[in-house]
Amino acid sequence: MVESKSSWKAWLYLSPALVLLLIFTVWPIINTVRMAFLENYSGLEAIGGRSFSIGIANFTKVISYKKFLDCLKTTVLLCVITVPVSSILALLIAVCLNSIKPLSRMLQTIFFLPYVTNSIAIGMVFAAMFNIIGNNIGSENEIITTAGIINNIIEFFGGHAVNWINAGSTYAANMTVMIIYIVWNALPFKILILLGGLQSINKQYYEAAKVDGTSRKRIFARITVPLLSPMIAYVVITGFIGGFKEYSSIVGVFGKTMGPAGADKRLNTMVGYIYDSLSLNRQGLASAAALILFAIILLVTLVNLYVSKKKVHY
Amino acid sequence: MKIDENITMHQQDMQKVSVRQKVVKILVQVALYAFLILMAIIVLFPFYWMINSSLKTLDEYRLSVPTFWPHVVMWENYVNAFNTANLGRLFFNTMYVGIVSTILSLVITVLSAFAFARLEFKGKNILFAGLLATMMIPGELFTITNYGTVSAWGWLDSYRVLIVPFLVSVFYIYLLRQNFLQIPNELYLAAKVDGTSDLKYLWKVMIPLALPTLISITILKMMGAWNSYVWPNLVTRKEKYRLITNGLRNAFTETTGDVNYPQQMAAVALVSIPLFLVFIFLRKYIMKGVSRSGIKG
Amino acid sequence: MKKRCFVLMLLFLMTLVFAGCGKKKAMPNFEVPEGGYDGSAVTITFYHTMGTNLRTVLTSYIEEFNKIYPNITVVEEQVGSYDDVRTTISTEITEGNQPNIAYCYPDHVALYNLAGAVATLDNLINSTEKDGDGILGLTQEQKDDFIEGYYAEGQQFGDGLMYTLPFSKSTEVLYYNKTFFEANGLTVPKTWDEMEALCKKIKSIDPNSIPLGYDSSANWFITMCEQLGSPYTSAEGDHYLFNNKTNRDFVKKYREWYKNGYVTTQDIYGSYTSGLFVSTDTVKSYMSIGSSAGATHQRPTKVDGAYPFEVGIATIPQVNPEKPKVISQGPSVCIFKKENPQEVVASWLLVKYLTTSTEFQAEFSIASGYVPVLKSVMENEVFASHLAKGDGGDYIAALSTKICMEQESAYYTSPAFNGSSTARDQVNALLNKAFTTDGDDIDKVIEKIFKDAIEECEYNG
Repeated sequence: MVESKSSWKAWLYLSPALVLLLIFTVWPIINTVRMAFLENYSGLEAIGGRSFSIGIANFTKVISYKKFLDCLKTTVLLCVITVPVSSILALLIAVCLNSIKPLSRMLQTIFFLPYVTNSIAIGMVFAAMFNIIGNNIGSENEIITTAGIINNIIEFFGGHAVNWINAGSTYAANMTVMIIYIVWNALPFKILILLGGLQSINKQYYEAAKVDGTSRKRIFARITVPLLSPMIAYVVITGFIGGFKEYSSIVGVFGKTMGPAGADKRLNTMVGYIYDSLSLNRQGLASAAALILFAIILLVTLVNLYVSKKKVHY
Repeated sequence: MKIDENITMHQQDMQKVSVRQKVVKILVQVALYAFLILMAIIVLFPFYWMINSSLKTLDEYRLSVPTFWPHVVMWENYVNAFNTANLGRLFFNTMYVGIVSTILSLVITVLSAFAFARLEFKGKNILFAGLLATMMIPGELFTITNYGTVSAWGWLDSYRVLIVPFLVSVFYIYLLRQNFLQIPNELYLAAKVDGTSDLKYLWKVMIPLALPTLISITILKMMGAWNSYVWPNLVTRKEKYRLITNGLRNAFTETTGDVNYPQQMAAVALVSIPLFLVFIFLRKYIMKGVSRSGIKG
Repeated sequence: MKKRCFVLMLLFLMTLVFAGCGKKKAMPNFEVPEGGYDGSAVTITFYHTMGTNLRTVLTSYIEEFNKIYPNITVVEEQVGSYDDVRTTISTEITEGNQPNIAYCYPDHVALYNLAGAVATLDNLINSTEKDGDGILGLTQEQKDDFIEGYYAEGQQFGDGLMYTLPFSKSTEVLYYNKTFFEANGLTVPKTWDEMEALCKKIKSIDPNSIPLGYDSSANWFITMCEQLGSPYTSAEGDHYLFNNKTNRDFVKKYREWYKNGYVTTQDIYGSYTSGLFVSTDTVKSYMSIGSSAGATHQRPTKVDGAYPFEVGIATIPQVNPEKPKVISQGPSVCIFKKENPQEVVASWLLVKYLTTSTEFQAEFSIASGYVPVLKSVMENEVFASHLAKGDGGDYIAALSTKICMEQESAYYTSPAFNGSSTARDQVNALLNKAFTTDGDDIDKVIEKIFKDAIEECEYNG
């Protein structure tokens, strides 16, 4: 009954969004597919009068790249670790913020501040915190100007300074820094979303629980999480989509070399590969890589959606 | 006697329990605050760094060992930032583009999210999955095609070229849909029975309930206008249409092509102040949440 | 029969077209219209990366230019960084919206040339069409006035044609702690061998120091190729030629320097090497090789109104001091093709005005710290008195410019093609990697690093 009547209405409501999407999103995607199947396509060379044959050479060239698997590995690792960690932390912070009285205004304001912090500043501060400035680190001729705040703290507690991001550092150390950075970077957004979601939960549920004398833990597990589950699902799914497109955070810490000195591109990701191709005006390669990335994210998202359909309480 | 003893013992027990409960409660509170304050410090660090850098001389900024407070506090950076870039014009443009695109975007997002959350129609799930899929392709690939489109329409150097291409965000439609889904469907069906029209229901029930999320979207959208760089730099050449990031980044390039970061940071901090005030103001609405009791869940 | 005739005709036509194409490659792509600039009203845009102070200089000279050519409206625009200029223009070309003139580096031009978008300057330079009291092209005197190394950069694209004119330039110079050198009786090294001995000596005087900081690993590698006369890249044929014995040997030698603690690079050090040089803490360097345009960063901060030490500037060490080689950097300008040839001619007039005006070059150099591209600037009074003031303190920028002007015959540029920036990135990474990688058989390690770099270049190129 509701269905037949609301069908045309639904399309009416959706029409402004769909028209704009067709022009500014769907059309570029079609164009991306076209470029992906034109072998070695370059927009500038096309203007210069070169023609391109149709084929799958772009795809084979992407896959045959020696470091393709490395790019994929870094991308997946970062994604699989940072999304759950940042989501859980953000959930905890949001719930805590929501349940305190004194100081709550001040703390909320503080958690808003990252939004007005320039993104360049965020990258700079990270480099400064983990950067060991010096020469011949780890050898007999070692000279260290400064070991960075994080190492100062580690040494203060009696630990050994770690070479996090500099020449001679390990992949594991690099990844640790990236994971901390990405989680940190993602937190404010997730807190904001989850806080908004928490506020949409009717207070009466909590009041009822209070009357029943339900414990905090139980309230959290039985009321907060289920009622907030649509927002949690959102945070996780978009987190994965964003995570697979990780690039700028790595540039933020390591610069355009995407790795410590002496190990360029060690932390390169799929999107990093796409950027490199675009900067040499090889849109064919970039498009093919984007479609491969698309296929991967699509698969993950389908799994996510399937899981959330079972677990999310609507 | 025995019974009395028992009673007193029981009372003591009770007291003990309540004392323990109190202690636990206080401990929980302390842990809570400790956790929040620690996280707050971590989250705040870049903000502090921005202010710290904005007050340094370029020479001090380039030192090997970063200083935690400038040796010489350079308030001049702020004065220079204010004088160098045409801040007034840039600020106006950014506000204009930000506000117009936020309002239009909110309307489109609300309508679409409503359709996806509450209406039934053929192909809904496929369409929704399709929309989600568009988020998965890196947006940088769209730039050239979209540039071709707006150029063919003669839209270069205008406000609309800064606003229209980014009005729809699947990201926000999805977010709001999720929020709408948090609202029990029974409310909608009840309204249907009462003969309330969709739009009225949307306006009277859904929007107030989803207000915190709508405000989050507003903030994110405004910040988008504040931070966008690549697209505005490509499609606007005239000073008249320049946005804040373009003006800021470009004004402080040193002769060697390096950026004078301290001055740039000062400029960023300067233009963030009004934004910050707006956020403080909006925060109240997010935190107020849905305290209205007229709506039954 | 008819069909066959038709096919033959077609084949014949096709050969003609192909022959035309083949020839066209080496032919200038812009013909100067009869009569040169006809005085018509045109608007030309100029994309650059200048900061506010330099824009003031530029606009004042555009005003002067407009006194001669009142109908040419010049719109100068600050587009951001060099990267921003490149991405913006390469997108704009696809819609024919590119500017008329742009600040460029050689690899940008190679990129724009994929679309054939850059106008060759040969016919304009050689044009004898009348223009005002003089000619449209460059007089022999004007051509000779350009510093050769800078001028030659315009022809580095493999086809012998001229695509750019130098605008303002910089190079690398050796900054040294003059106070320390004088106190210890050290002399400034002229060759790399002297440099090695000196580093060893400094290390014995101050074991806590890193004697030399080299800002750019890429420049070091490329400059060594040039000084040793060994191949680096080529604009035609096989692009990537840097994997050879000579190059592997010098990399191995400098790796030893690094291991001995003589030298560091900006990437390895993890911060500005100039910051290390100006440092007054225990860890510092006494020499720093960096951009001549960044001289002010190589000067320590005043303490109680005086500089803690005096800075000296010299030519970087050489393989053969008789035949010095130093890299040429800094922006050139290119002109884009347009449907209306008058726009191209008008753009040329502005480019010619700015690059051949002694006054503009002098003033721009003083304001920016960059090196002027004309020899005659030395005769400019304002400029000469500016250079005369040059010292290791307040007027360090002038001293740096002075050193650069004295080595005018030493400038070289490397070939430019789409992918030349990849080669640059790869040799940069290569040097850092060779320094910081250990192994039992170091020759094998270095060989592998070279091989990987070449592979990476070829994949991208």
